[in-house]
Amino acid sequence: MLSGLRDWQPNVSGATLKSSLSVIGVSLILVGVLTAGLAVLQRVADVQTVTIIYLIAVLFAAIRGGILPAVVSALAAIAAAAFFFYPPIYDLRVHNPIHLIDLVLFIIVAVVTGKLATDVRKAKMREQADALREALIGSVSHELRTPLSSIMGLASVLAQTPDVAKNHQAAPLVQGLREEAERLDDHIQDLLDATRISNEGIRPHTEWVDPGDIISAAIERKRRLLAGHPIKISVAENLPLIRLDPTLIEKALGQLIENAVKYSPPASPIEIQAGQRNGVVRVAVHDRGLGLSGEERARMWDRFYRGPRHRDSIPGSGLGLWIAQALVTACNGRLEAFSPGVGEGTTMSIYLPVAASGGPNHRAVPDE
Amino acid sequence: MNSLQPVVLIIDDEVQIRRFLRAGFELEQFSVLEAENAKAALRTVTLRPVDLIVVDLGLPDLDGAEIVERVRSWSTVPIIVLSVRSSEEEKVRLLELGADDYVVKPFGMAELLARARAALRRQSRSAAGESKVRSGPLVIDLAARIVSLDGEKLQLSPKEYRLLQILAQHAGNVITHQHLLREIWGVKHVRDTHYLRIFVRKLRQKIEKDPTQPGILVTELGVGYRLVHGPQDAHAK
Repeated sequence: MLSGLRDWQPNVSGATLKSSLSVIGVSLILVGVLTAGLAVLQRVADVQTVTIIYLIAVLFAAIRGGILPAVVSALAAIAAAAFFFYPPIYDLRVHNPIHLIDLVLFIIVAVVTGKLATDVRKAKMREQADALREALIGSVSHELRTPLSSIMGLASVLAQTPDVAKNHQAAPLVQGLREEAERLDDHIQDLLDATRISNEGIRPHTEWVDPGDIISAAIERKRRLLAGHPIKISVAENLPLIRLDPTLIEKALGQLIENAVKYSPPASPIEIQAGQRNGVVRVAVHDRGLGLSGEERARMWDRFYRGPRHRDSIPGSGLGLWIAQALVTACNGRLEAFSPGVGEGTTMSIYLPVAASGGPNHRAVPDE
Repeated sequence: MNSLQPVVLIIDDEVQIRRFLRAGFELEQFSVLEAENAKAALRTVTLRPVDLIVVDLGLPDLDGAEIVERVRSWSTVPIIVLSVRSSEEEKVRLLELGADDYVVKPFGMAELLARARAALRRQSRSAAGESKVRSGPLVIDLAARIVSLDGEKLQLSPKEYRLLQILAQHAGNVITHQHLLREIWGVKHVRDTHYLRIFVRKLRQKIEKDPTQPGILVTELGVGYRLVHGPQDAHAK
């Protein structure tokens, strides 16, 4: 499903030959109608100066059909004007050179408005296709999620029933069922997050936060994932409080931890560090895994990007880092990747600015 | 039906969710009542004695929050809310309205049962006049107003004790920032979360083995704090 979505581009060459032809047809009829109107008007007034009215047909063709229909209707309009209204009448030749300017003017208008209209229509179509895609992901994710909640709940109850808990064959199966459902749910959550970020943007609910709390929450949430890896956690004492939305950074950090686990060998150590320097708190996740190639470093932040060497071996949607970066950026932070090279491990760092004034960091808390 | 079995009322419009909740609670010797909408739920709670309410927030006929509010207007029965992720504000609102705790969908039965038991224990503790609350090596004696760590009495400031007291009274359940700030520093300071941050950090230095990896006084990001309940190693789940 994901790769399908990734490749799905809206068809913006859109205006097909058939619809162009129908626009041309309508605009030619319009030219005819206008000509008839002018012919009637000619009985009471001099219409040589009002042939500009033909621009109605040209603009119609440009807006509806783009450049080609516009040019065709411009030529038809000029021909009609020259034939019916510019002396010599009933002859395509034109005496007054000023009428030649009409020809040039009509063609310019046709090309320019045609081009503008096409651009606008393309942008609009792309927007509509994007909106449709986002809406689709949103509703599909929701529909998938409800039964998935049931599956996970059922599996968790099943695991607790005495018959299953005591059965050495069934218990791990039920456990596997639950873990896979959880994994699927994480993917759906990623899709929902990505949809929400691109549709509504991120609205952080800021508060003063102890960075240490964010780190322990992220580790707690990924505890099961980290189970096989020796973890070294070093959090500097007395990190300053930061004003941000802690749930966003926790999510981003959780993603970095998940990636560290995913892209490093089983049982390899993972380090999580936090410290501050020059008014910036840095939270880093360091692994001894597969590292980053030059191309991966350049494109890893792209939505849906997956490194070619991992695409078939390690499952993923290519959304995780894109989401993490959006979340960190929404908190005025920065997300950076460092790797000495392929196979050399990766260090992902979140940089979070401390309020210049120090915020409440130097103020005393009333304690009786 | 055994009259000693606690009665749980499950309020959820999804049949499948009700089904596994029923199975999970019955395994734990609960007697289970179900309601698929708010109207039926409110009728049930007025007609039958209920020991615990589990309510989903997305009900078709009434906001789950309204159920919490209405039930709270006349009853102290423990209420656990089934919430969706990424809505901390919503969780805080429900807790402030009187819900005892929440679990985030999708959740496992063990997690819900832990929250439910903690909330039920608060009820039974106050009924039985039990005064000691244990969290790992930490014991809070609410009657004697003594806190001890590994058997040794701790020196705490009155506000530090107050914080632990509130958390201990609801041991195992989350307490919002607002609640703690209001109770400890007064209504004027309900928005001063930084008070709590600095205060909790100081308190953790006194009670936690590793203050950077708390196992007793844990943070619920964007919501509040929770005192981990029980004698076991706090990280063992």
